[in-house]
Amino acid sequence: MSLMTQTFENTEIGERRIQAVLPSGLTVVVIPRPGFHKTFATFATRYGSIDNAFHDPKTQAVVTVPDGIAHFLEHKMFEKEGGGDAFDDFARLGASSNAYTDYTSTTFLFQTTSHVMENLTTLLDFVQRPYFTEANVNKEKGIIEQEIRMYLDMPGDRLHSNLMRALYVTHPVRIDIAGSVESIRTITPEDLYTCYRTFYHPSNMILLVIGDVDPEQIIAEVRRNQEPKGYGLQGPVVPVYPPEPAGVKEKHVEKSMVVSMPLFVMGYKNAQTGLTGPALLRQEITYGLMWQMLCGKSSPLFQDLYGQGLINDRFYARYGGSTTFGFSALGGETPQPELLEEKLTQALGRAPLTAADLERAKKREIGEFIGLFQNPEELAYAYNSLFFRGIDIFDYVDTAMALTLPDIEQARAEHLRESQRATSVIRPQDN
Amino acid sequence: MSIAEESGFVGEMHHGTGWYCFPTNRFKTITLHAFWINQLSQEEAALGALLPHVMQRGTKKWPTFQIMEQTLESLYGAAFRADVGKIGDKQLLSFHLEIVSGQYLPGHPDTLALGLEFLQEVLDHPLTEGEGFRAPVVEQEKDLLRRQIQALINDKGQYALTRLVEQMADGRPFGLRKLGRAEDIERITPESLLEYYRQVRRTRPFVLFAVGNVDPEAVRKFMSGTQGETAAGIAPIVPYTQRFHNRTLIERQDVRQGKVDIGYHTGITMTDARYPALMMYAGILGGFPHSKLFLNVRERASLAYYAYARLDAAIGSMLVGAGIEFEDFDPAVRIIGEQLDAMAQGDISDQEWEFTLRAFENDILSEEDSASQLIGRQLEHTLMGGGLSGPGLIQALRAVTVDQVTAVAKMVSLDTVFFLTQSEDGDAAGKESVQ
Repeated sequence: MSLMTQTFENTEIGERRIQAVLPSGLTVVVIPRPGFHKTFATFATRYGSIDNAFHDPKTQAVVTVPDGIAHFLEHKMFEKEGGGDAFDDFARLGASSNAYTDYTSTTFLFQTTSHVMENLTTLLDFVQRPYFTEANVNKEKGIIEQEIRMYLDMPGDRLHSNLMRALYVTHPVRIDIAGSVESIRTITPEDLYTCYRTFYHPSNMILLVIGDVDPEQIIAEVRRNQEPKGYGLQGPVVPVYPPEPAGVKEKHVEKSMVVSMPLFVMGYKNAQTGLTGPALLRQEITYGLMWQMLCGKSSPLFQDLYGQGLINDRFYARYGGSTTFGFSALGGETPQPELLEEKLTQALGRAPLTAADLERAKKREIGEFIGLFQNPEELAYAYNSLFFRGIDIFDYVDTAMALTLPDIEQARAEHLRESQRATSVIRPQDN
Repeated sequence: MSIAEESGFVGEMHHGTGWYCFPTNRFKTITLHAFWINQLSQEEAALGALLPHVMQRGTKKWPTFQIMEQTLESLYGAAFRADVGKIGDKQLLSFHLEIVSGQYLPGHPDTLALGLEFLQEVLDHPLTEGEGFRAPVVEQEKDLLRRQIQALINDKGQYALTRLVEQMADGRPFGLRKLGRAEDIERITPESLLEYYRQVRRTRPFVLFAVGNVDPEAVRKFMSGTQGETAAGIAPIVPYTQRFHNRTLIERQDVRQGKVDIGYHTGITMTDARYPALMMYAGILGGFPHSKLFLNVRERASLAYYAYARLDAAIGSMLVGAGIEFEDFDPAVRIIGEQLDAMAQGDISDQEWEFTLRAFENDILSEEDSASQLIGRQLEHTLMGGGLSGPGLIQALRAVTVDQVTAVAKMVSLDTVFFLTQSEDGDAAGKESVQ
């Protein structure tokens, strides 16, 4: 095969990937999984719920679209001209298919144990053939409304949603991924086509195949599928995000629901945004290690809070984000949200961190990273989100190993600022 | 060493103690999962739920929770979880350890040996004080378990399903909650819990599963050196018999979405020759996005985001569920009923049949790519005393005829409809405040 493919290896953990960029700008990646029965493939676009304002690539005019449209578009992509849907095409080929939308990306996927090439063609074709009508768009509103209502009854989901609305003043990450019942009602086929044209160009997308497959054959097949579609090059999409102040919008948000015990989450908004590539990877791993050392299960703080009954073993502390936003969230179920908040804010800034803690946290991080490769679903999610932020997944172990205690201390000093902190609480409703 | 079944597991079971190994290089980690198998009873459910949590808090060698957690971190983030599960009328005291295969780690440590040592320390040498477990630990875990029991209400989908099965069981063991009841936790003491632990160790069936780059001989040796005398074999799971017919129960809460869950009696469990036909039945009815329930409740009527049917193969029941608008209860129940009628009349298209068959083939083959699914199916077979899996199950599904499906459809009988809906006072808006 004459196509320019590159192989990247990480021999210590026994992994490699084969990669090519097609003339349309589409990136194709294959991660072999010898011995696996199933093949898992994703076709993902760098387009998520936060991209609700952008420069139209043709006119350059700024377009604003209804909240929740990326998720709505994800649902509607399965619809086919002439009736039927893509689920059926996959089912005919013995595959299962699905899709998900998050803050920064939309992903379409299939999982199969047979007919890999045909399923791959089906995946590429359905995502590249939009078909929206007044009738099929309106029908979807009832379904998505039920999806939104299901989330409204999930206390953990409300807790997080309220935290985001407290932490962020203007950034669209404060809006629920699915939008609201009101916002999705205003979506039209024209809105969907505009977003589709802007964000579903191959140069904004990645196709990832994980399984016991022949990488060269996969890449050749994808190229054969793409060539006749005649995609020209398109410049990068430029989304518009309003400037976000460093401070939070609200210090504290509460809601009551039918829950057995209060749910508590505390968030720190990251003001050091704008990073991509290796610098962003380094920041994310640093914050992750910091949380593991400060309040992972092996930390004195966790043990203290657990012993006092203020947290249970589902207590979490983690960092997440992308280039334009990032936040830490820590919390769980607690009988006394105020006391837990007080204990946390007192301890986080001054709990001693040691080199031994860092070594153990690194070992844990590396163990988890290696384990990722046996789970195609999780691997694909991680791979795509790293790719969209310009990060090479194989840099992970070396980046983690290179971090030092002063790096962690610096992260603590810059991230755990009172002005960037907010809390969200769900309290049991009196019945 | 005996049995090398078509399942790919190697292992043996004698007098209620056994082990099963699935050696493969497919995975990056080694998974060890040990179970004590308990008969579910109202009296002992809370004890069984509490014990694993107390056991993971400390051992003789690692006397505090913190030291245990640091030990796990040092084992390249080995993930250890001790908790409780349920299949049919059995409560499973479960100890799960996942550890990276030594070949991918610096110095290539023998992580199978390290993992087995860790499990043995937890199972055989829990930290005790006098004639009990450590009192403060027991009190803390009692408190946490009580809260976990109460937290069921936070997950509306799970809550509605649990309430339905409880109502169908009407006090029988398969309807008991795996965590027990809050009121039964109170009287547990450090001494009674240790006494219970000794009894479990002496008398309960015990099975260890190992999946990954593992040498079965090492596991066999490990097992021969552990676990003393024990009970007879595992008592078979008792299938459920129907006590109610066409009953509708309504429960009200302050919720935004209604949950309708319907329980049916099938009379067919996993070891029944008709089970593959029942699988086809439930699959065509509501197992997949191409199934009748999804197409008619969601896609045609736009009533729901999800609508499914699934089997409990251990006890012979089928559950159908959907999340709907409060006022759509009648149409949703009607449409669900119509789909069951269509199944009973053999109104099944070639497409529905083929898609379902292929979807099952995909699911069954894919199980082999997940250590937890491999262990789950082997555990079910161990508890049920048989059942098909892998290529054997695929063959059996291919041999099913439409007549066999309509025959099992006639056995499916409506037990109870459970509807979780909004409070009578109507206004479902939560109280929200921003400070």
